[in-house]
Amino acid sequence: MALKALDIYKLLPKKNCKECGEPTCLTFAMKLAAGKADIEKCPYLDEEASRILGASTKPPIQRVKIGVGERSFAVGDEFVQFRHEKTFNHQPGILVAVSDLWPDDRIQDVVREVRDGVLVRIGTDLRLDGIAIRCESGSAEEFSRAVAAVEAKADLPEVLMAADPGVMEAGLSVCGAFRPLIYAATDENYQGMCALAGKFGCPLTIRAESLESLAKLSALAAKEGAPALLIDPSATTLSDYIKKATAIRQNAVSKTVPDLGYPIFFDTTVTGMQDAALALGVDKYASVLVCDRLSIPSRNALLTLRQNIYTDPQKPIQMNPGIYRVGEPVRDSPVFLSVNFSLTYFTLQGYLEASGVPCYMLVVDTEGYSVLTAVAGGKLNETLVAESIKKTGLESEVDHRTLIIPGYAAPLSGKIEDESGWKVLVGPRDAAGVAEFLEKEWKK
Amino acid sequence: MPMKVDIISEWTGEIGEVTIGATKKEGGSRCAAIVIGGGSGFPFLGGSAPGRKPLIAFEFCDDPKLWSPIVTEFEGDVVNDAGAWAARAEERHRPDLLRFYLTSTRRRGFQEFSQVGRSVEEVLERSTLPLIVEGSIDPAIDSETFLRCGEAGEGERLLLGTAEEGRYRSVAAAAMAYGHSVIAQSPIDVNLAKQLNILLRETGVPHDRIVIDPYTGALGYGFEYSYSAMERIRYAALKGDEDLAMPMISSAIDSLNIKEVREADPGQRGEMAVKWELYTAVSSAIAGASVVCVRHPDTIVPLRSAIDSLWGKTGGGD
Ligand code: B12
Ligand code: SF4
Repeated sequence: MALKALDIYKLLPKKNCKECGEPTCLTFAMKLAAGKADIEKCPYLDEEASRILGASTKPPIQRVKIGVGERSFAVGDEFVQFRHEKTFNHQPGILVAVSDLWPDDRIQDVVREVRDGVLVRIGTDLRLDGIAIRCESGSAEEFSRAVAAVEAKADLPEVLMAADPGVMEAGLSVCGAFRPLIYAATDENYQGMCALAGKFGCPLTIRAESLESLAKLSALAAKEGAPALLIDPSATTLSDYIKKATAIRQNAVSKTVPDLGYPIFFDTTVTGMQDAALALGVDKYASVLVCDRLSIPSRNALLTLRQNIYTDPQKPIQMNPGIYRVGEPVRDSPVFLSVNFSLTYFTLQGYLEASGVPCYMLVVDTEGYSVLTAVAGGKLNETLVAESIKKTGLESEVDHRTLIIPGYAAPLSGKIEDESGWKVLVGPRDAAGVAEFLEKEWKK
Repeated sequence: MPMKVDIISEWTGEIGEVTIGATKKEGGSRCAAIVIGGGSGFPFLGGSAPGRKPLIAFEFCDDPKLWSPIVTEFEGDVVNDAGAWAARAEERHRPDLLRFYLTSTRRRGFQEFSQVGRSVEEVLERSTLPLIVEGSIDPAIDSETFLRCGEAGEGERLLLGTAEEGRYRSVAAAAMAYGHSVIAQSPIDVNLAKQLNILLRETGVPHDRIVIDPYTGALGYGFEYSYSAMERIRYAALKGDEDLAMPMISSAIDSLNIKEVREADPGQRGEMAVKWELYTAVSSAIAGASVVCVRHPDTIVPLRSAIDSLWGKTGGGD
């Protein structure tokens, strides 16, 4: 059961020494209660207090970091079952599988694709995360060759997939310093795998079919000293996965079965329907997803779904209101009115850039709502526009007094003219039409 | 060591059922009367009363000018004849349901109401799947349009759409007069969905003739809100809120018009459309939709495999 801030406060040293980075012990307690601070930041806790607080403020799902450097990622650290209850914190890493039966150049084609492939949405670079190297040869030599082939091309997070601890060690001797994820410890080999995880300081995935065996095995692995764990319920159908993953998440966040409080690993290649399995994994609790090479359409849909599901439902991604410049606008350049929802901003900005006409964007504060949503909800109105023109100093930036408004805001055009004194030109509804619009309407 | 670890289920509420389509025996001409909804668990989690497996509806229209060129080019000439398109969709694409949009009514000053009835009749003649009909979207012609749709489909137990907060009386009236059910659409909000259901009930539409459409934003364009709205609506119902205990329909109608799909590399545009629909539909089914709608014929096969695999052998009553 989670402790309340006051209960936590009672256990703290009450020195108010600020060494934890918080102004007072009480604020530290409040952060701890919200799961937003790390208990180890306070150096003065006595043993009893650390024990109680360590157990109760620890996230119900362990945080695990995979890989090192720029592309490394963290998973776990989740608190809720549904994103609408608060938010999901750490999006799943997606790793593309290669086989040690493949020649180096085939492996490296995949590595290059993962290293360089990017989808830019809402000003963010969306990418796949790493490479899963699968031992299908059974040979330690081939496996380490494959790992070396990957390493030669990129510093990407890796999952090493081999059943034999001897083979695993051969792979780890190539890349063990870069915190790859070890896959997988099972009933048969867990002592060997745990020893490797301890030796190289790598996270370890444990695999078992039933949730009871998973819980048992995770407890054993923790005892053997494995520093960080993921769990794989070895689902082969989507039905099996959704049931097991849901049960794991429920029992973990409610702390009913703390031994299941680890991020979930899902190898989607075994389901025979990779797209659907990836969608399911993103929606329902996967933290590491392994898949075969993805076509661009699959990759884009997947990365977009992941971005959607892992957006904080309490705050749409917003821009700061104000004047933005596209190209190098001058005193007679056109001015476009838009809203501060990031998706809207970046969509419009993309098309304005493509038009090649330098211009200004006047971005007003609609609390992160899109044009249509803001118009429907009354958040975009003439008063806001008139005030924004004044506040931003737009009138000293340009000599003309013409404002181009989004097509969806057409019903407001008269009111904006009256309230601001600016002339209003109604632009197209779809930002894709701005280039043509500028060509026809602005040049006149 | 832990005993048996299982899904923690604390639900007591039950999702209502709605029947779409009527067979010959029931006074219609459909190949089946399909029941959607039911059960008292969350989708795909099994349990003692898991409800039904989600169904796939294929969307088509009577004025292809207002349809995505990705689909009309894929389908070819058949899109110019709604009856033929319906027949072909049923035979080749094999969805569970058809959803027919009367896009012809979306022209300024539309007045050819007799054509509305004829189009619906033609689609009914050329196909046998249970049918969803989408009438006008303009309050000025709602009343006449929905009346014609309702009349043409009398006895067929259509699902008629779409009722919204500001304009639901015409749809409701046509549905009540001719024995159809109604799609109730609200913009991505649990309370608005509930409010509309109450309004519909007050005009006399019974619980078992309402299907909730919580509005599905396209992937990357609001889908995150829709996904959570669906989960919240389903959970509210399972926790006992009867005004939300209707099956849901999900259709991400903007999918094929968004930038990522529309401006995809020409060689990849078709596949982009399919993947966009597939990821959205699978996620909507997971969030609790009973009917998921698609427009690209190639989405249907992978979507069906996905739903079958999600459902599993132990899923329960089909
Ligand atoms: C996601 C969503 C929401 C989210 C909010 C998302 C957000 N951050 O805005 C939530 C769930 C909160 C929401 C709430 C509401 N929503 Co809403 N929502 C949507 C949805 C599905 C997508 C919006 C979106 O992201 N669009 C993408 C962005 C990029 O579009 P955009 O901002 O319009 O920008 C485009 C153009 O306008 C243009 N553009 C932008 N700036 C400029 C500038 C110039 C000069 C030019 C030329 C062009 C241009 O470029 C962009 C690309 O083309 C739409 C449906 C839809 N298809 O739009 C409904 C929709 C907009 N919502 C609607 C409604 C009614 C509402 C509510 C009023 C419901 C309610 N009563 O509570 C509330 C209002 C919020 C409030 N309380 O104030 C209706 C509006 C109906 C209407 N036509 O008026 C819609 C159309 C859904 C529907 N059909 O019912 N909504
Ligand atoms: S470091 Fe410990 S004692 Fe010092 S202020 Fe923080 S909580 Fe209090």
